[in-house]
Amino acid sequence: MDRLAGGDLGALDLLYEQYGAMAFSIAYRITGDRSAAEDVVQDAFLGAWRNAGRYAGARGSVRTWLLSIVHHRAIDAIRRRRPTVELPDSEAGLPDSLTLPDTWADVELRLDRAAVWEALTSISSVQREAIELAYFGGLTQTEIAEKTGVPLGTVKGRLRLGLQGLRAALLPLDGGGAGRG
Amino acid sequence: MAEHTFAGLTCADVQDLASGFVLGALTPAESDTVRRHLAECPELHAEMAELNSVVPALFEAVDPVAPTAGLKDRILAAAAADLEARRPAAQPTPAPSPAAPDRPAVPARPEPARGWDLGALFRRPVWAAVAAAALVAALALGAWNVQLRDQVAGLEAYRTGVVKVLDTAAQPEAQLAILAAPAGQGPSGLAAWGADGNVALVMRDLEPTTGTQVYEAWLIAGTSAPIPIGGFQVGTDRTGTFGTNHVPLGEGVVVALTLEPREGAKTPTMPILALGTARAAQSS
Repeated sequence: MDRLAGGDLGALDLLYEQYGAMAFSIAYRITGDRSAAEDVVQDAFLGAWRNAGRYAGARGSVRTWLLSIVHHRAIDAIRRRRPTVELPDSEAGLPDSLTLPDTWADVELRLDRAAVWEALTSISSVQREAIELAYFGGLTQTEIAEKTGVPLGTVKGRLRLGLQGLRAALLPLDGGGAGRG
Repeated sequence: MAEHTFAGLTCADVQDLASGFVLGALTPAESDTVRRHLAECPELHAEMAELNSVVPALFEAVDPVAPTAGLKDRILAAAAADLEARRPAAQPTPAPSPAAPDRPAVPARPEPARGWDLGALFRRPVWAAVAAAALVAALALGAWNVQLRDQVAGLEAYRTGVVKVLDTAAQPEAQLAILAAPAGQGPSGLAAWGADGNVALVMRDLEPTTGTQVYEAWLIAGTSAPIPIGGFQVGTDRTGTFGTNHVPLGEGVVVALTLEPREGAKTPTMPILALGTARAAQSS
């Protein structure tokens, strides 16, 4: 990341080699459009390129940092397609997950694909649907309530219980989970 | 948990909004108040940290889709243009002083401001001295003969190319770009194009091309896709010259050079070997 912050194009090349495919997959999953996904990924990598200096103080891995930027830009892109929705206040704003207090300890969850798929099957289908609509559909809690025809409180409950269920399923198998940092 | 109220939200309110916050499912106004509460509240809000730790796992649930070919090159080209655009701000050119002594040689990095010191290129006593030294050495040391002959040929070719570039740059409203390797070490050269669209480029310290390889020159304007303007091959003298005709794109356009496997590339093959920004060749 130091090389990236120093304007090293080779470091950006390496970053793309490592995460470009996953970034594109996420952008395509959210936008459903190759051209829009390309714009999102380009925008996100250039954002990372210009703001690499800010990463030093950010929490989490480079992967999470970069993919969160991709997610954030992709959600912005689909929300802009909906004229009635309230738009984010700043295009340059970082995702919420990047601006959380540094005092929080991270728990090392198992993030391999098989474990995540297994965890997703361990929560209920309505919880999965609510998380899906929020995280990949770009809907607010209120919009999810309208779309699924359930009260707002129920949506909040599904999101919370769904995330808690995923977390429980992804905690280290050795019974660890002590925070770090 | 003690109950605090910040940004109009109690800690219980924040807990109620926590899952929506970490998933980005709040309105911007709601997110903002939660963020402000967290910034001021002495409570750790551990539950939100726990929920947030799950979010990166969701990336793994996405089915892989192959990125569009050429996307990486597009990003790298845009980053290179961005890097070039940042240089002038980072290195302001000091105002010239009439009393200042004549500065030797060319500046270590291209100075972006108006008023290129073109004469400095020729004030260096490099051509005659190096060529003469090379010739003497070539006679004395037969084994190095070929190599040194190439160096001399390279210097001669480079000088000829520089003259062509400067002839073009001398025209009214001409643009000039000094090309340098992004990392500092590597090929360097000059490119100029006149208001009539005539383009002249000269580069040195290039690796010789093999087979169908060509060095391709590109114009990059803003974040638009790079425009190829033509290519050339390089021999053992490691020097390349190139002339073409292209509509002038104006000041601030980045000229970049890449090595392509063959002629006719539509997108640049990374890495960018050298680049520079076009500026007015003469002060008005």
